[in-house]
Amino acid sequence: MPVTSEVSADGNTITIKISGRFDFAGQNEFRDCYYNTSPGEKTQFIVNMSGANYMDSSALGMLLMMREYLGGNAANISIVNCSPDIKNILTVANFQSLFTMD
Amino acid sequence: MNSSANAIDMSENMPLNSKMPTVLIADDDVPNRLLLQAILEKQGYHVLQADDGVQAVDVFAREHPDLVLMDIKMPNMDGYEATRRIKAMSTDAFVPVIFLTATSDSEGLARCVASGGDDFFTKPYNRILLQARIGALLRIRELYNTVQYQRNELENHQKRFDREKQLAKRLFVNIIETGSLDLPYVQSMLSPMSLFSGDILLAAPKPSGGLHVLLGDFTGHGLAAAIGVLPVSSVFYGMTTKGYSIAEIVTEINTKLKMILPTDMFLAACVIDLNPGSHTLSVWNGGIPPVVIYGEKEQKIIRSLPPHHLPLGIASDESFSRRVEMTEIRQDDRIYIHSDGITEATNPDGLMFGRQRLENIFVKNSNSSELFGEISHELIKFQAGGAQQDDMTMIELRYNQQQLEDTVFHDKAQQIKRAEQLSSEWDFSMGLSADLLGCFDPLPLLIQSVCDMQGFRGQRQQLYTVFSELFTNALDHGILNLDSTLKGTADGFAKYYMEREARLLNLADGSIKIYVAHRPNAEGGLLTIRVEDTGSGFDYQENQISLESNVGHSGRGIQLLNTICEKIEYMGNGNIVEATYRWH
Repeated sequence: MPVTSEVSADGNTITIKISGRFDFAGQNEFRDCYYNTSPGEKTQFIVNMSGANYMDSSALGMLLMMREYLGGNAANISIVNCSPDIKNILTVANFQSLFTMD
Repeated sequence: MNSSANAIDMSENMPLNSKMPTVLIADDDVPNRLLLQAILEKQGYHVLQADDGVQAVDVFAREHPDLVLMDIKMPNMDGYEATRRIKAMSTDAFVPVIFLTATSDSEGLARCVASGGDDFFTKPYNRILLQARIGALLRIRELYNTVQYQRNELENHQKRFDREKQLAKRLFVNIIETGSLDLPYVQSMLSPMSLFSGDILLAAPKPSGGLHVLLGDFTGHGLAAAIGVLPVSSVFYGMTTKGYSIAEIVTEINTKLKMILPTDMFLAACVIDLNPGSHTLSVWNGGIPPVVIYGEKEQKIIRSLPPHHLPLGIASDESFSRRVEMTEIRQDDRIYIHSDGITEATNPDGLMFGRQRLENIFVKNSNSSELFGEISHELIKFQAGGAQQDDMTMIELRYNQQQLEDTVFHDKAQQIKRAEQLSSEWDFSMGLSADLLGCFDPLPLLIQSVCDMQGFRGQRQQLYTVFSELFTNALDHGILNLDSTLKGTADGFAKYYMEREARLLNLADGSIKIYVAHRPNAEGGLLTIRVEDTGSGFDYQENQISLESNVGHSGRGIQLLNTICEKIEYMGNGNIVEATYRWH
């Protein structure tokens, strides 16, 4: 599960891009993407799923960890470009109530 | 990972001697023996001696030397035989035997090896060579012992681990299976991918008749996931038995899991309440694929109840939603609930079973009683022996009013304990004002108190029905002024419960008083329950006939009470009802 992250020019948006299987195997890389940042209050996080073809419940858990680390309800995290399968997994778990989803 | 941290610590508990090794010399030639002894003792070895083969075997058995130097020709027993016996005695350890021989003919040397010798040494002795050979063989012995020791340790660890795992498994199964899935209208399958399942399936009869079912799927699988199962099952069984609603049960489980689980772990769960009294199915679904209702009459899926909530253990108490979806259910309709392990089951090509394949089975099926079997059959066929990726769990419930009403919770231990209690005299009363009525269900508390004071020998279920009917009538009709004729139509049914919820929420006036008294008699006792509401009541004399014919004001509930209680009496302007229950 390759994970890459990118900070926008103005420094306000951090995009984390997931490819392949989104599961526990990449948990350290995923965590480093937000641990290593020093986000300001306005920083928006975008999890880009365009390259992900699968996610399991441990990946849901990883998203919850991220959300908590970034302040729980105060966190500003969007999940974008989900395939129908991944979207289904996220909506069955009602994650649209915790994350902004497109 | 740091590999040295993982290596077995050799400094402690090792069976190897830190002192110098002991060498046994078996030779009938005394000068020869003394010469060897001198050489070895100079090296620091501890030396033992034997005159012949018999003595050599004796000394070996007694002293367990680390190495043996063995002459071939000796009286009583020759070196070949002595070596065979010594080797037979030391199957657990490697004890090198070096033959001392005058000749170097190949036949003699072959015999040395055949009898178990590890090396041979030709006379006259070269001191340096002898020391080198002894040193080499002792090093091999040490290596052998270390390997042997580690193997035993590993074997013991493995055994201990297996034993603990089995023990935990037994404990796990006992806790999970307190309730019963062994009911005529239930079919289920639980297919864990490892010894412990992260999926759970619990079912427990309610004290008022009917059934609660919980199907859950923890993040991950195996032991880590299974640990969370324990608190969930104890809350589920405990609260169901005491008469709590599924909304209260999921709230409690959520609070508990939120407290004990790490952030990235949660329980996707679907909890349902099958109520044969009102022909309703109530569903709270958090993160489980939609609950499917298959109509017996229509022979197709007639409703699908998607997950409306976050899985359990994520939301805080303030943001947790306990809202339950309620729907009508008819005789022989079937309810299907499954974990995502079913739709995400993969075949050897990595393809998923998927929702569509599952729904196709419902469409194609022609005999609803075979649906469950067909689904599991298709699933196994699809997987075609491929490795299971996740726990798979599915349950089918066929709605059968009679069987559901007959489902009783058998708690033998409790019945026996209660039976020993004596009948005694007591009474108490309870008043509930409007603000309390809106948010508090007094039934579990009432029934628990009554059963704690007086055992009622397994009559808890009947008592629950009495309390529940009396209280619900007072609340629904006396206080909330709901019209039960609404429930006559399918539409009105849902409307009734929606209206009930709305009125409860805005309730400002009214109160209910409950008085309970018990008087013992020779056979058991007489329990009186009086419920009084501040509503306008009804003309009970007029309604007597219609009550008995099971229509009108209070409907089916009152007829049911008449069969359980000795007497049901209305007083005042119909706002007071008193039930007399005789037990023995």
